[in-house]
Amino acid sequence: MRISWQWLTSLLDLPEAARPSAEGLAAILTSVGLEVDGIERVGEGVQAIIVGEIRGKEPHPRADRLTVVALFDGAETLQVVCGAQNLPPVGGKVAFAPVGARLPNGMEIGAREVRGVASNGMICSETELDIGTDDDGILILPESWPAGARLCDQVPGIVDAILEIGVTPNRPDALGHVGVARDVAVKLQCGLRLPELRAPEVPTEPSLVTIDAPARCGRYLGFVVDGVEVGPSPLWMRVRLHRLGLRAINNCVDITNFVLFEQGQPLHAFDRRRLAEGRVVVRMAGASEPFDALDGSKHELSADDLVIADASIPQALAGVMGGARSMVEAGTSELLLEVAWFQPSGIRASARRHALSSDSSYRFERGVDHGEGLDRAALRALQLLGELAGGTCRAKAEGRGEVPARPRIVLRLARVHHLLGMPVGPAEALRILQGLGVEVEHAEPVTPWTCVAPSHRPDLQREVDLIEELMRFHGLDDLPAEATVPSAPADERPDPRADLRDRLTDALREVGLHELVAYAFTHPDKLRPFLGPGGEAAIVHLQNPLRVPLSVMRTHLIPDLLDALEVNVARHSHPLRLFQVGRVYAWRSEVGEAGAIDPRRAADLEVIDALLPEEREEAAILLHGGEAEDARAAVGALVHALARLGYQPRVEPFAADARVAFLHPGVQARIGVRVDDPSAPVAWVGYAGELHPDALVGRELGGRGRAYVGVIDLGKLPPRPTPIASDRPRFPATSRDLSLEIPLGIAASAVVDALALAAAGLCADVTGDRPRLAGDGISPGIEVVEEYRGQGVAEGRRALLLRLHYRAEERTLTDAEVQELHQAIVASACGGLSRPDAEVRVR
Amino acid sequence: MLVRLQAEQERLLAALAEVADEDALYQLQVAYLGKKGSITALSKELGRVSPDERKRLGAELNRAKAAITEALEGRREALLAEARARDLARVEDLTMPPRRPPFGTLHPLTIARRALIQTFRRMGFDVAEGPHVEHANYNFDALNFQPDHPARDMQDTFGVRDRRGAGDLVLRTHTSPVQIRAMLQRTPPVRIIAPGTVFRCDDDATHSPMFHQIEGLYVDRGVTMADLKATMIQFTAAFFGRALDIRLRPSYFPFVEPGAELDMQCPFCGRARGQTCSVCKGAGWIELGGSGMVHPAVFEAVGVDPEVYTGWAFGFGIDRMAMLMYQIPDLRQMFDGDIRFLQSFPG
Ligand SMILES: [Zn+2]
Repeated sequence: MRISWQWLTSLLDLPEAARPSAEGLAAILTSVGLEVDGIERVGEGVQAIIVGEIRGKEPHPRADRLTVVALFDGAETLQVVCGAQNLPPVGGKVAFAPVGARLPNGMEIGAREVRGVASNGMICSETELDIGTDDDGILILPESWPAGARLCDQVPGIVDAILEIGVTPNRPDALGHVGVARDVAVKLQCGLRLPELRAPEVPTEPSLVTIDAPARCGRYLGFVVDGVEVGPSPLWMRVRLHRLGLRAINNCVDITNFVLFEQGQPLHAFDRRRLAEGRVVVRMAGASEPFDALDGSKHELSADDLVIADASIPQALAGVMGGARSMVEAGTSELLLEVAWFQPSGIRASARRHALSSDSSYRFERGVDHGEGLDRAALRALQLLGELAGGTCRAKAEGRGEVPARPRIVLRLARVHHLLGMPVGPAEALRILQGLGVEVEHAEPVTPWTCVAPSHRPDLQREVDLIEELMRFHGLDDLPAEATVPSAPADERPDPRADLRDRLTDALREVGLHELVAYAFTHPDKLRPFLGPGGEAAIVHLQNPLRVPLSVMRTHLIPDLLDALEVNVARHSHPLRLFQVGRVYAWRSEVGEAGAIDPRRAADLEVIDALLPEEREEAAILLHGGEAEDARAAVGALVHALARLGYQPRVEPFAADARVAFLHPGVQARIGVRVDDPSAPVAWVGYAGELHPDALVGRELGGRGRAYVGVIDLGKLPPRPTPIASDRPRFPATSRDLSLEIPLGIAASAVVDALALAAAGLCADVTGDRPRLAGDGISPGIEVVEEYRGQGVAEGRRALLLRLHYRAEERTLTDAEVQELHQAIVASACGGLSRPDAEVRVR
Repeated sequence: MLVRLQAEQERLLAALAEVADEDALYQLQVAYLGKKGSITALSKELGRVSPDERKRLGAELNRAKAAITEALEGRREALLAEARARDLARVEDLTMPPRRPPFGTLHPLTIARRALIQTFRRMGFDVAEGPHVEHANYNFDALNFQPDHPARDMQDTFGVRDRRGAGDLVLRTHTSPVQIRAMLQRTPPVRIIAPGTVFRCDDDATHSPMFHQIEGLYVDRGVTMADLKATMIQFTAAFFGRALDIRLRPSYFPFVEPGAELDMQCPFCGRARGQTCSVCKGAGWIELGGSGMVHPAVFEAVGVDPEVYTGWAFGFGIDRMAMLMYQIPDLRQMFDGDIRFLQSFPG
């Protein structure tokens, strides 16, 4: 909200010299919680503008649209060329910028020639002076103003500073200058200087106002004002409204806006002659009842909308906007002035429903004063209508509905100390509360006090609210820094899930990957290649996305990595090794029952959590473009990371019917971990492989198509095992190489398993210190050295070179006994692996 | 025999001169002194000569053997010395591009979050987390955001499209619902921080639709605003290495009362010597976040008696902290995945 420094300080009962500067005012406002976001100096340069009198007008000899004006500046008559078409007749007054003046828009006025005629100064428009938006001709001043007088002396407050303050939603009272001035006055310990108002002595005509919806309209004051002459407002008011960002319309509308910004109370003036039977009915709208707003928009009302109707149709959407039919315009002579209090949440709902927001609805939905402030606003408007528009109040009426009770609050000053850690004394407390309009009953020095909050402060509901007021005005500068000692130690153990996440993150970084953090929402099309059957239904959609590319919560992390890949390819940053640890989102197949959740109480955790989508935590990696990058590198990165966490990683092919659809069918594997010995069951925690070409459709990868990815589901990781110091065998192991020729369909992991199984079978029943595979609980003592495909090996087959390590506990093995065991193991394993259609041969 | 011995000895010396490496030297040794070597063969012939002759020849043979051994050893040492000299004559330019394993990096948000967590853990705070998709009851109602009150507009909220009556779900707009979750799960004293991802329907150079907050909550008997101030000063001391002044300014957040903005004395003033600090623009203060005393309505919502317990809460942006720490000019750089950005934080 924009606050005029001139206007605000004029409301303080302070001698001119004691008024705070704009900066001083800003500091005060910020200190009481009305944070000033900026100060704008306005009207600089206007000091040089004077009132000029037209003494003569001649057409320009060489330009039809120009006039040569003889202008009297109070001392002499100057020749000025003017292009405006609205020059007043001789004797009229205009705003004149003499030679040497510098306008607020920066323009320097010099003596110059306009098409051969000398021009000594400039006759200005509102826009050129930055005091209005009317640039349709020059500004015409009242004829009564003396030529040569400074404009700024005729229009006090034209040179001003505008403070932009952020008013928090609990402070409707600070949405008008009087309310803000009240805070400043409490802080400065001075009084307020408010306009003197007199209630008109006119008859009450109850038929003017009917309230049919008392729950939605607490008070409605209606006044009949006639004899109004609609015309422009005086310059001082137009300037003031302009400074606050409003456009001047006509004196009647301007007065309602002026009172809104002064008192914080929205008003509405109807052209009474356009109201059927000249009266208003505050009622709920009929379903689908039409309404044309004065901004030209058309609406179909809901039965939840409150309207101000005449005897037949709605003439205003209550508290939000007036209707086009009864708006005040040139020719209006009789007004019905509305000053009302509407139930806030109803106004908010209507404004949202019809996407209409106005200065009025903004205030009503926060809660305006339903007490004295309402009456004051009405009187102030009547006063101004009388002074500036010639209007006379003829009749009045008041309708009453339900208004909130003013809460009675018990305040204990000891509680202030208890909450803040610093005391506020009774005298100071009393001064602050009373300054704010809080009635304090039996204000003895000893609390508790019973306090009644004023009607303009709907936010003051309970004791802490009053404590906050004391804090605001006492200030926090002398708040001590005094730590209490926590009465119970915190749980020092890190959350095991968070610990796993941190360690996995570190391990992935360690293998040379760079961590990405991407938006958790994405474009649904980007998820599509990754969704299995029924996956669409599990997507969590945003109701109001900023834009379609960010409209759903991600179900997978890989699309984010591909987005980053595209960004980097486009920026020529290659190769790319990325990882991301983050959440993915999906609706559960079972949804809990929402039931009735009481908004005043926190619902049970179980109830709430059953309603929420599942949020799984995953780690995903992407390798692309480097020479060393391939699918095995992706597996390697994950396996390394898992081993780094203390797991025994395990890589296996997927069963044909369990493959990951978005990975290349022939280049993928599942990844698991064990926490105990090699015979413990494997927890399958992820997968890795080459991305399927279909998953890259539409991605701009500059021709470098292949991307290698891997994913680990953190939720599937078992608790991290505690490391155990491994044995240190005393005698060296002996190795034997084995070259097998096998079909491509048999995975190396299957060969190793078969060998390990054969070895286990052959060594199981043997007693004594016999040779056995030199496994150590992590590896089975079988190493896959390399594979070979091509010449000498049939198509569809490959040669696999393995190395088996043997050892005995307490002695060095002889060649012969190793050879014997090795051959037995190989024979048994080959037998186990061979199928009729898949021959396994020793090379 | 003596003649043959002499001849073998001379042949060896000639061969030794030709020997260029250890292997050849070893083969020469085997050829003369090995089991099947020529000298060994000669010594086997000793059995066939007369005892007198044997004694004389034996002595000759031993002398020859010793001479050969010595010659071999001499040559071996010479070879070693040569090899060592050759080795030491090698020159490698270590200013050529170093061979180094690629290192990975952590995201600046991860680094900042961990540093914050570590600091608060040392100060006795537990770490609590919560879901990103949250029920409005926790994100708003239980935090004293009244239904249909404009306070709900303070945070531009992403709604989540309803699914089979799941109710009023939103992307959490702040980490404050974790306060509710923590107080429902624990009984006071509660001393937690809640770092995490939050979402607001807002996107420009200084706002991102997704960002990160850290929330602090301390509930116990006798907790005051003065304690909040002291705790935040302690935090700055632990985090920035020196105690920075903390300034509280009255403000409004529905779940605290009284509420206050939290400003921190700028820790970066003086980083650029002689110039106006670019972080605080010379103001000397940095707006950290919001804070205040837990609103009694929040306590009532979670079944804690506000007459017995008091508490404070604070919250500030992790992203903002990372931007300050690393002089990151634009928040959006954090999330687009440009490797040149990501690589700059070796962590
Ligand atoms: Zn600074």
